[in-house]
Amino acid sequence: MRLGFNFTLGSTYDMVKRLIAEGHIDYCEYLVDNFFCVDPDELAKAFDCPIGLHVMYSRFLEADRPTLVDFAARLRDCIDATNAIYVSDHILRFTHEGRAFFHLGEVDYSGEYEFVRDKVLEWQEIVGHRIHFENYPSIMDGGLDAPAFFERLTKETGAGVLFDASNAVCANLNCGTPFEAWRNVIAAAHHFHVAGYRNSIVEPFIALDTHANSLSPETLAFLRDFRSVFDKPGATMTYERDQEIEFEDIVADLKLLRNLFGESQERRHDLVVSA
Amino acid sequence: MILSSLPSRIDRDLYPALMSPEMCAKYPADQKAFVRIDTSLRVYWHTLFDICPELLEISGPDGLSIFRPFMAWAEERKLAFDWFYYLWVYAWLRQSPFKEQLLADQKYLRSIMGASAARWAILDRGRARGIAIGCADTTDFVIGWKCRSVRFGRQVELIEPEEPLPPPPEVFGYFTLPSFELDIFPGWQGVTR
Ligand SMILES: [Fe+2]
Ligand SMILES: [Fe+2]
Repeated sequence: MRLGFNFTLGSTYDMVKRLIAEGHIDYCEYLVDNFFCVDPDELAKAFDCPIGLHVMYSRFLEADRPTLVDFAARLRDCIDATNAIYVSDHILRFTHEGRAFFHLGEVDYSGEYEFVRDKVLEWQEIVGHRIHFENYPSIMDGGLDAPAFFERLTKETGAGVLFDASNAVCANLNCGTPFEAWRNVIAAAHHFHVAGYRNSIVEPFIALDTHANSLSPETLAFLRDFRSVFDKPGATMTYERDQEIEFEDIVADLKLLRNLFGESQERRHDLVVSA
Repeated sequence: MILSSLPSRIDRDLYPALMSPEMCAKYPADQKAFVRIDTSLRVYWHTLFDICPELLEISGPDGLSIFRPFMAWAEERKLAFDWFYYLWVYAWLRQSPFKEQLLADQKYLRSIMGASAARWAILDRGRARGIAIGCADTTDFVIGWKCRSVRFGRQVELIEPEEPLPPPPEVFGYFTLPSFELDIFPGWQGVTR
């Protein structure tokens, strides 16, 4: 399992460089559309490691085609310049009746399946690249339908899943989606996320995907129990942290992940080659 | 009135309530749906007061005397809540009982304009590099720049021009900049809903 870190802001540039230099991570994941005004060659050269791409605001379920075509052209430039190891996006609702959510909405996996499938097909065709779609940290009981939705979606569109393990833990705590229900999705996935979450301010508590805390015991247990389903040649796992960015805390979590999955085979190979 | 029969199985059932303090109050507080809606409303609250904490001097520490009536006003007008969010808060304050306090000190306006420019720079995915936001209540204007290098984030600048631009025809106006230079003034565009 190759380990990575998400790069969303310029302010963590030096820290990510240090994580790479000290061997805590093997690749870096750009929140790529934050950097659409940066020269793609600068993106390619900024870090001395492979690059994964994560799209946040394509809004491909809601945006019109000309907007998506323009977005895709810039995404394409980044894919080509960085020779990205994967491209990922989100299946999310950004608005309701034209009004923006600030805490994004989960789609209706049963009622909107055909609509989402057709949009996914169209979005992959516009980008001209396979896209891995991330699972949502479900709160409401619609999250029970998520595993079957992603299984069917990948079969019918050729898309992949960027499986966020801690989002699945949030869904398990919030609406009871069993880990076992994700087995086929995890087995087919090559790209993963993991992060900390925290409880809501008010009760009854719900787990919120905040990227501000250390990995929970539940997340680590889930990874341990499904270790051999997650780990496979070419697999990547991005540790996401956007708030409370403390170098030592991040390194401690990355070491837990290294211990759990073992030193990455690809990494060792690279080291042998460069030695 | 609390209604226990409101549909609340899936997230989509709650969409209309996610930006409505009034609808939130109709959900039983001991249920997950209420917490989901409350969490969403807190994000709107924090997006306003974490970025413009000066406004808490006007409203009192919980911010609710601004937040609740503003959200209801915005709902009536079906405001889109894109990067104009902060500008609409100012527009509401300007016609509210807080008007005098608001206009007594330019720091509120500067904070609002800066927040709006920063939000545009974070969220806009069009080709423009920068945005200038002006207001009829001041000759100063604010520019937000998108991230231009992996080493830096977005940037917000306050411009105090020696020769002021003509004021925008409405309370706020903006124009976008195709390069990382402030070298054009194509005229003000109005804020839309
Ligand atoms: Fe994500
Ligand atoms: Fe994630």
